[in-house]
Formats: sequence, structure tokens, C-alpha cells
Amino acid sequence: MPKILLVEDNEMNRDMLSRRLQKRGFEVSMAMDGRQGVEMARAGGFDLILMDMSLPEIDGWEATRQLRAVPETRTVPIIGLTAHAMAGDREKALEAGCNDYDTKPVELPRLLAKIETLLGGP
Amino acid sequence: MSHAESGNGLSPGALGELRHDLRTPLNHVIGYAEMLLEDAADPTLAERRRPLEETLAAAREALGLINDSLNSTRGAGAREVLQLYDALRGPRTRIVQAASALLPAADDGADGTFTADVRKILAAAERLAAPTAAPPAPVASTPDQPTTAPPDGAGVRRARILVVDDGAENRDVLRRRLERSGHAVETAEHGRRALELLAARPFDLVLLDVMMPELDGFTVLEAIKGDPTLRDIPVIMISALDEMPSIVRCIERGAEDYLHKPFDPVLLRARINASLEKKRLRDQEVEYLREVARVTEAATAVEGGTYLPGALASVAQRADELGRLARVFDSMVSQMKAREERLRDRVQDLRREIEQARRVSKDPGPSLDGGNLKTGDRVAQRYEVLSVLGRGGMGTVYRARDLELGEEVAIKTLLPEFVSDTRLVERFKDEIRLARRLSDRHIVRTHDFGEWSGVYFLTMEYVEGITVRALLDTRGRLGVSSTLALATQLAQSLAVAHRHGVIHRDIKPQNLLLDAEGVLKVMDFGVARLAERSTSMTEAGLVVGTPAYMSPEQLMAEKVDARSDLYAAGVVMYECLTGEPPFQASSVMSLIAKLLMQEPRPPAALNPEIPPALSALVLQLLSKRPEHRVQTAAALVEQLAPLG
Repeated sequence: MPKILLVEDNEMNRDMLSRRLQKRGFEVSMAMDGRQGVEMARAGGFDLILMDMSLPEIDGWEATRQLRAVPETRTVPIIGLTAHAMAGDREKALEAGCNDYDTKPVELPRLLAKIETLLGGP
Repeated sequence: MSHAESGNGLSPGALGELRHDLRTPLNHVIGYAEMLLEDAADPTLAERRRPLEETLAAAREALGLINDSLNSTRGAGAREVLQLYDALRGPRTRIVQAASALLPAADDGADGTFTADVRKILAAAERLAAPTAAPPAPVASTPDQPTTAPPDGAGVRRARILVVDDGAENRDVLRRRLERSGHAVETAEHGRRALELLAARPFDLVLLDVMMPELDGFTVLEAIKGDPTLRDIPVIMISALDEMPSIVRCIERGAEDYLHKPFDPVLLRARINASLEKKRLRDQEVEYLREVARVTEAATAVEGGTYLPGALASVAQRADELGRLARVFDSMVSQMKAREERLRDRVQDLRREIEQARRVSKDPGPSLDGGNLKTGDRVAQRYEVLSVLGRGGMGTVYRARDLELGEEVAIKTLLPEFVSDTRLVERFKDEIRLARRLSDRHIVRTHDFGEWSGVYFLTMEYVEGITVRALLDTRGRLGVSSTLALATQLAQSLAVAHRHGVIHRDIKPQNLLLDAEGVLKVMDFGVARLAERSTSMTEAGLVVGTPAYMSPEQLMAEKVDARSDLYAAGVVMYECLTGEPPFQASSVMSLIAKLLMQEPRPPAALNPEIPPALSALVLQLLSKRPEHRVQTAAALVEQLAPLG
């Protein structure tokens, strides 16, 4: 069962996305801010991270950079999520070290396809 | 949503915030509805599908409205925002109705998770309402489907509560009770953990056991009350009955209340709600004061010229008077700023025209006939005549040095026929005394009136520049934007003068000076009073050369008021825009006849570049009857602002 870390500060978003992923057979752990997200990710055991980019404490951009800077999380796939869909967000996310990027509202089939691509890959 | 209204637009930042504020709850509605719809694939739950589909459809429609109306490239003003909230009312009501139909008739026995999720949809839909709007009307309920109250009665707000107790059973009981009341609960098994959690995220209330290992409740309380960031979180102590002395100590140290074990559910709920309500009121008060401070700061920023429109966006969302003040304030400042910027651009255009005119025009080389004064004369032992600047209908103007103050002035001598009547000279002196009080960047200051060797003279501020007459003579006509810059400044100067009770009476291109920066200065306020005797129809031509800028009432020697100056301003604008005065004739008499009886051709008919609204405004200023014109110079400034 693939393990996903969902880093999202909004309670409803967290609840919604985690339940929908669980229903599809993922094991989901949750972090409420960037700092907690980095801590949990570094503790290990995740196959993929879903990272909201606007987070309290440390934002998603910075959290991603921190995860890319250390060996234990350097290769864990990260999908960045933003609510704004601003031009350039995608490039910014990839530059920060995300493997892929998606916008909220999450379209589940699209996100699942991205997750599966990243998990199925080498 | 018209373009014309985007002037008081919200800043892109404020717009982004607003979009976020609206999309977040919608995303929640959509997400939960989709999720529940997935579950409803189960045939036993089929009756849930239709309301969920309706919820989803309404939410998507609302999302479309938001995306369409708050398009950042177009900008949105306060009005657009209100219109959007208005448009969202329909979809929101449909969401609430559809979702309410999914709530079970009674709370017990139902699918708890499902009901909770539907409530989340309803809570999210509530956040789509306009901040100023009245609370939504209750959803009509059919007898078999009454709307259900929230679990703990209405009015209870969901709070984040930290329960600190070393007894696992106590923690569990409290958590379940509080969660059932709709609160979000986290627990800590000892004081150290509690302080870690408090440092990590915000809480609304702490329930704190007194006796604990590691750090006891008393120490934790002191830590909370000693930390400025935590001090305002209310703490309710949990104690056994025999710990009264330590409870007293805790309350002295700032605890809000206490609860005995075992907990009485009713008492627990009442006391927690009371504490939360107190905190909510306190937070509201603190927030209110903070926002009052922000409005005050914004006022200071406006004075300092550093206010950014939209800076009060969050205060402006308040439904109370303070919110209204912030909205009005922000929209006024935005309009003012936009107007200033537009005027600045127009003055730039005017400046370019002046530069070009100066390049073309040969220096008028004041080799004019010297008049009554000669270069080198020391007028009144104070002014040394330097050169002749020009000649007008009333006398000659010289450039001179004020030897007392060491600065250059202009001296205007008055022809003897204007000063022969001593009664008239006395009246003129009164007028000059009035005009001397005018101080404005668009008015040439009048200094003195005196007599020297039988010559009456006026001294005034010397402005190095070009008259609008000279500008028109070299350029033919001016662009729309330059004309607006000129007219706005003229109207501003007239507004100041009229406010002080001074009417110019002789506004014409010769009396309008432009300096190199494009700043307009109006000359000869009050001077025309001297010529008034001659403003009857028969003598007008003789005295002022041409009556082209005179209003009909002036020509008829009727009562002249501020609106006569506005007529003259209209003539100047007409000439700037079209390159010719509104009426032309071969003789003074036929000109006067046209002036009194003919309607001018609309400026736009002569120059198609002139916007229709501007053309109409000029015609209105040229109305024969004063009561048909724009009534005040200040109103003219207002009407010019949005043109062009």
C-alpha cells in the first residue's frame, strides 16, 4: 500500500483529499504546516508527498527546497498544489524541486494519474 | 461591468485575496459533494445522488461566476464585487437547499460521517455570502424534513481546544464530549507537551489539569500567562474537589474558570461556551481596535501621499460602520489618485506642446514702443524697469526688478482713461485688495497698486512663460489631452477665486500664462473691474479690442457672476480644441449679434478627435443663459476629470 504524506493547512481540504485517497487504497499521513511536513517527511517511509504551497510556518516552496537538500528525501516524488494557478507557478514549483504540479480545486482523476505516473516510474 | 468604472479598481493583491476567499469555500463544497457522490454509487444510497448533483452543479456555476467576474486583467471595483456577491446569491441558495435536503430528520441513528460532511458543505456555502449581507433566510422545511439545528444548539462556534490531563480516561471523555459539541480537540498528557503544542499552533481555549507529572498545571499556567503570544488564550483549570486552595491560586494567576471532576456535561458545556464567548468578544475588540488603527494609519498615509489603494481591503469587508468607512475611504482615495495621474499625463502633453511652440516661435523680441516707462526707470524708488513684456487693452506690461526684495516682478501701467474717474479708482483698489488675498499656484499674485509721476501701475508676480494666446498662434490648436490639462487648471484657479468672492471678468488666452512645466497661471484677477464701465454693447469693442470672450450677460451689462467666467472658460476651450473662436465676424457689431443670437457649431463637428462628451461640455459652458451652464468652477473640475 503506497504511503502518501499530505501537507495541507486547511482542515477541510486535508479531510477531503485524505479520505478520497484512502478510499483508493493509499495510506495517508497528514501534516498541518510546512515545518511539520518537513519533520514527518524526514522521519521517512513515504512514497510520495502532496505539498500545498501556501502553508503557515514554512511555506510549500521552502519546505520542498529543504526536502531536496537532504539525502533521505531527495528522491521522494513531490507534487505541488496551489490554489491560485498563477502563470509561472508551475515553473516555480518545478524549480523548487517538485516533480509535478497541480492546481486546486483538485480534479481527482487528474491528480491520481499524476500520482500513479510518479509511483510507477523508476 | 463597464470599463468606465474600473477607475476605482481594487489592487491586484486585494483582488487575489478576494478570489481566494471565495474559491476556498467553493472548493470545499465541490470536493465534499464529489466525494459523497462517489459513495452514493452504492445502490442503497441512490436517493442521495440527485441533491448532491444539484449541489455540485450550483457550486460549479458559482465558480464560473467568480472566474468570469474577477478577471484580474480587467480589474474590478467595489461595485463589481457587490454585483458578484449578488449574483452568487442564487447558486448559494441552491447549494443550501440541496444540501439541507440531505440532512436526516433526526440526528440519531443516521450515518454520522455523512451528516457531518453535509454540514461541512453548508458551512462552506455560508462563507460565500457577502460580508455585508443579512444572514441568509432560513431554508424552508417540509414537515417531514425539518432543518436540523447544530448538535449543541445554535450560536456555538467551533473552537480549537487543548485538553491537558495525565489521565487517559479524562482526556478521552473530554475529547468526546467537546467533539460532540462541534469543537476541534487536541490532547496533551503532560505540561511539557502542552507547551509544545501551544507554541506550534493557535488554540482558542485550554483545559488544564492541576496535578500532573513533569510540569504541573500551575507551572504551565504561569508559562502561558507570562508569554505575550499566549496570554490571551483562556485557561480553565480541571481539579478534584479537594484541590480548592490550588484552584484559588490558579485563578489569582489568571485562570478563567475551573471545573470539578467528575464532569457534569451540562456545566462543562456552559462554562466552556461562556469562556469561548468571552474570548470571542475580547478578540473582536482587539481586532476592532487594530482595524481602527489601520484606518488612522491610512489617513496619515494619504496625507503623506504614500497610501496604496486597496490597503484597507480587509477592514473594508467588515459589515459595520468601520467597514463602511474603510470602503468609502478607499474608493475616494482611489478615485483621487487615478484623477491625479490622469491630470499629470495631460500636463505632460501640454508641456510638449509648449516646448514645440517655443522652438517654432521667434522670440517676440519686446522692441515695442516703450509706453510711459523706459528701461532703467526706477518706479516709486523701488522697481527698476528691465524690459517691455507686452501691451494690452489697458496699458503696457514691463519686467522689472523689485530692489527691496531683490526679485523680478511684472509692472502693468494703466492708460489714463481708465484712472480718470476717482470713484472708479477707489472701487478698483477694493477689488485689488480682494485679489491680493488670492494665493494659489494657478493664480498670478497681485502685489501693489500705486502711482508714480502721474502713472498708475500694478505690480504682480513675474512668471516666465508663454501665454495661451501665443501658444495658439504658433500651434493653431491643442490636442484633447493638453486642452483638458489647461481647462482643469483654469477651472481650479477659478474655483479658488470664486470661493474668495473674486470674479475675473476677463478670462481670455492673453491672460493665461503657461510656464515651462505646463503649469497654468491666470493673470489680472480683479483688473477687469476697471473696464467694467465700458462693457456695455456700444463701447465693448472700443475698450477690450474684441468681445469674443465675453458672456452675453456681460455684453448686455447685466448682472455678472462667477458663471460669466465659466462662459469665458468655454470660449477658451473651444478655441484650444478647434483652433478658432466659437463666433467670427468681420465687424464688432455683427460679432456681438452672433454672440447674442447664434448657437456655436459643436467643437466635435470641426475636429472629429474631440470626444462627444467634451464637445457637449464646451457647448454647455457656452449657453447664453447662465443657469444653463455648469454652475460652479468646482463642478467644472469634476466634470473634466473623467473626460478624454
